[in-house]
Amino acid sequence: MNLDELKDLAHLSLKVAQDSGAEYAEARIHGGTGNGYMLKNGEAQPSILEDSFGIGIRLICKGALAFSATNLLDRSTVKDLTLRTVKMAKASSGLAAKKVKLDDSKAARANFRAPERERMEGADPSWLKHLLGEIERRVTHCKGASAIANRILIASSSIEQKYLINSDGARVESRVPRLHFYGVLTATENGQTAQRTIQQGESGGLEAERRMNLIEKVEHEAALLVEVLKKAGKPPTGVVDVILSPELSGIAAHESVGHPQEADRILGREGAQAGESYLRGDSIGRKVGSDEANISDDPTLLRSNGYSPVDDEGVSSRKRRLIKQGRVSEFLHNRSTSAELGTVNNAASRSTAYNREPIVRMSNTFVEPGDFTFEELLREVKDGVYMKSFTEWNIDDKRLNQRYVGLEAYRIKNGELKELVKAPVLEITTPALWGSVKGRTKELEFEAATCGKGDPMQGIPVWTGGPHTLLIGIRLGSR
Amino acid sequence: MDHQHVNETVVREAKKLGADDAISLSAVSDEQMVRFANNSLTVAKRITETGLLVYLTKNKRRVVGASSNPEESSVKGFLQKLFKSLKGLPAEPNYSPLPTKRSRYGPAGGFDGKIAEVENEISEFARESIDAASRAGAARSAGAIEASLASCYLMTSTGIEGHDKRSKILLNIRSFLDHESSGHGLSCSSTLAGFRPGEAGRRAGEDAKKMANPKRPEQGEYGILMSPTVASNLIALVGDFSSAFSVDAGTSYLAGKLGEKVASSVFTLKDHGWIRGGLGGRAFDDEGSPTQSTTIIERGVLKSYLHNLTTSKKFKTKSTGNAGWIEPNPWNLEVSAGDSAFDELVGEMRKGIILTSNWYTRFTNYRTGEFSTVPRDGAYLVEKGEVKGALNGLRVSDTLERIFSSVRSMSESREWIEWWEVHTPTLCPWVLVDGVKVTRAYG
Repeated sequence: MNLDELKDLAHLSLKVAQDSGAEYAEARIHGGTGNGYMLKNGEAQPSILEDSFGIGIRLICKGALAFSATNLLDRSTVKDLTLRTVKMAKASSGLAAKKVKLDDSKAARANFRAPERERMEGADPSWLKHLLGEIERRVTHCKGASAIANRILIASSSIEQKYLINSDGARVESRVPRLHFYGVLTATENGQTAQRTIQQGESGGLEAERRMNLIEKVEHEAALLVEVLKKAGKPPTGVVDVILSPELSGIAAHESVGHPQEADRILGREGAQAGESYLRGDSIGRKVGSDEANISDDPTLLRSNGYSPVDDEGVSSRKRRLIKQGRVSEFLHNRSTSAELGTVNNAASRSTAYNREPIVRMSNTFVEPGDFTFEELLREVKDGVYMKSFTEWNIDDKRLNQRYVGLEAYRIKNGELKELVKAPVLEITTPALWGSVKGRTKELEFEAATCGKGDPMQGIPVWTGGPHTLLIGIRLGSR
Repeated sequence: MDHQHVNETVVREAKKLGADDAISLSAVSDEQMVRFANNSLTVAKRITETGLLVYLTKNKRRVVGASSNPEESSVKGFLQKLFKSLKGLPAEPNYSPLPTKRSRYGPAGGFDGKIAEVENEISEFARESIDAASRAGAARSAGAIEASLASCYLMTSTGIEGHDKRSKILLNIRSFLDHESSGHGLSCSSTLAGFRPGEAGRRAGEDAKKMANPKRPEQGEYGILMSPTVASNLIALVGDFSSAFSVDAGTSYLAGKLGEKVASSVFTLKDHGWIRGGLGGRAFDDEGSPTQSTTIIERGVLKSYLHNLTTSKKFKTKSTGNAGWIEPNPWNLEVSAGDSAFDELVGEMRKGIILTSNWYTRFTNYRTGEFSTVPRDGAYLVEKGEVKGALNGLRVSDTLERIFSSVRSMSESREWIEWWEVHTPTLCPWVLVDGVKVTRAYG
């Protein structure tokens, strides 16, 4: 099955919906192929091949929004499902006290493809096996390898394809191949354990493997994990300065800036699931951080995991400045939230699959780089901790009360990195965190993540990132 | 689609290709949903799907394929692609062939076809729940009702056939008094007769009202009374950690503890392939083994991990009927009932907190079970057996083993829980735990 064969079904659905009285209609053929491979402690697990296409139909009747989906891809089924969707919207409109409206965003006509030099289809069928085999070999031969008792290594490649049309004239075709790695390494010695979860991913062709430098990265993390297990001592508690690595800066930006600035959460739509926000519809301009707090989300970054230059409502997207000099600058919007709040849509609507409704999502969320070098940032710290990687993290559903537990973390004394410290806990409110930012380094690095939201749940690929970020006067805890 | 025909085609073509073992598992599902927020419908959904999962083996090599387009014309090509991919794989040391005893499984029971007919009622259920919450004091409510039916058909190359069908209807409602005060209600049932949208709405509304003017707690150790919703979130994780795959992978705190005390003597945990009222499960697993009831923890002692054929070979035991072709998984978890009423549990607490809902449970280390989770909605401070007020801004930070080893008592009443934060259906009481570490954020 391929995308071209299925486009007619999207046009059929759109026509049936419009003829049946839908005020707005869209149809999205969405699917692709995937290939996955796993090693558990060096032992092969079943290889996985996936092949999936379906159609998602979304429409508005009498102000009520309805969404339906199927992978039974024949004209009769799609026609019947579209009619049922119209009926469903009309039947439920009595409960829709607030009518759904879409703004007048310009409908895109585009065909975008994530750049790929070597197409995924051309891969040797055994390439993921060879990749993981080499990672396994390196991890089991790195410095201190005998302590790495357990390893889960998973590599997968996918090609996501979409064809979207709507009654406002959008017509968007896309192809985004991705490579993804997930690993859990467990080091054990004298009854003590340490564990590192590693996630890497980006869009692109086979060349992404070399670009990501996966083999060396995982080997490096394995050796560090053993160091942490053997050498990490007690972290300081009380008020100190903290330098967050790009990995920590990125997760904090994603959790406590990106999520609370999703306009659908602010308007209450995710209230029973992912929650709401500490911000309100009128919070634009509110000071939530120091002048050094600058956070953005950019779906147009080439190679990125969250590459989506045209969104799933058929609107061209752009970089969004979420926080500028400590003030809330803009929310993430789709056509409905921008209409409701009377502002401009910035096209953040994304869907993970044909059977998932497009909703407001982040893409690649990051702290903007500054002008320090890492050494200059270090020199600012008399007594503190450098948190380079993290394990446990969570945040409340208003995105105000968050926690990050460090894994690879070092004491800083008088501007110099000192010994490893074990599991420092940064448990802090959102304004306290971003209000304490004093400096940022020049570099910008990204990590892959899978962001969960929606009902049914949608785990969507994103990047999180940033520079090194200096926080001043933070109370740290320990586990 | 004729699932029997698809399965026969898959098994026949797999044999022709030279597979040692083959399994075809085809499924069809129909899911209806309404979602609401601010007392108003936000979207109505209907997802109708079919799917085909294929398992092939050759010379101790295994591959799994998933296709959402199982038409006969495409099945052959899909199988050829799968079979070809086997050649590049290494042999698996713990490979185990499929059972050879011919078996035929029928539906385990508990299916309610009436759930298919809620198309016209589902919005009314939402209205009933919202109205009940409003009457109880809520200013506004958000939530979702999901009504779903699923059928699956299994056929193996060794002569095992199975068919089962499941039904369930789930409501998750969250009510708000203001931005600081909220309550949560669930109704989870495999039958329409057992669905209680009004009751769930009333609970959410009452808790929202009781949560007015919450205060942040002092950090420290508290007795914690976990609602079935909160306890199920942690117990479903214990169920995942009891998977032999997780144990072998070093991602389970239960590794190496068979026969050891891992919980309080009042705590027993079982997994059931099928149980009356259960929201999941069936009579056979994905490898064609019969499902069963497995005691994971009995009076605090770890009795068994959950196995499929591959893990059972490695652990030198028998499959517990929990396959998963890659990893075994629990079907329906059941925690033993206690002997206390809710008021008696509250009365036992000297310095404690009642938690009604939580989310975002994450681990420092799966091997040690160190985790934290974020309570939300109704949370109440208890002193000397009396509720003293509402709390927010707290976090539970502890280890799973210490928590379940410190269970003092549990309620006689139990509820089925499955929602956004609990994916394995769990029958669970209120659970009172001593000395749990509670933290709060700086700033």
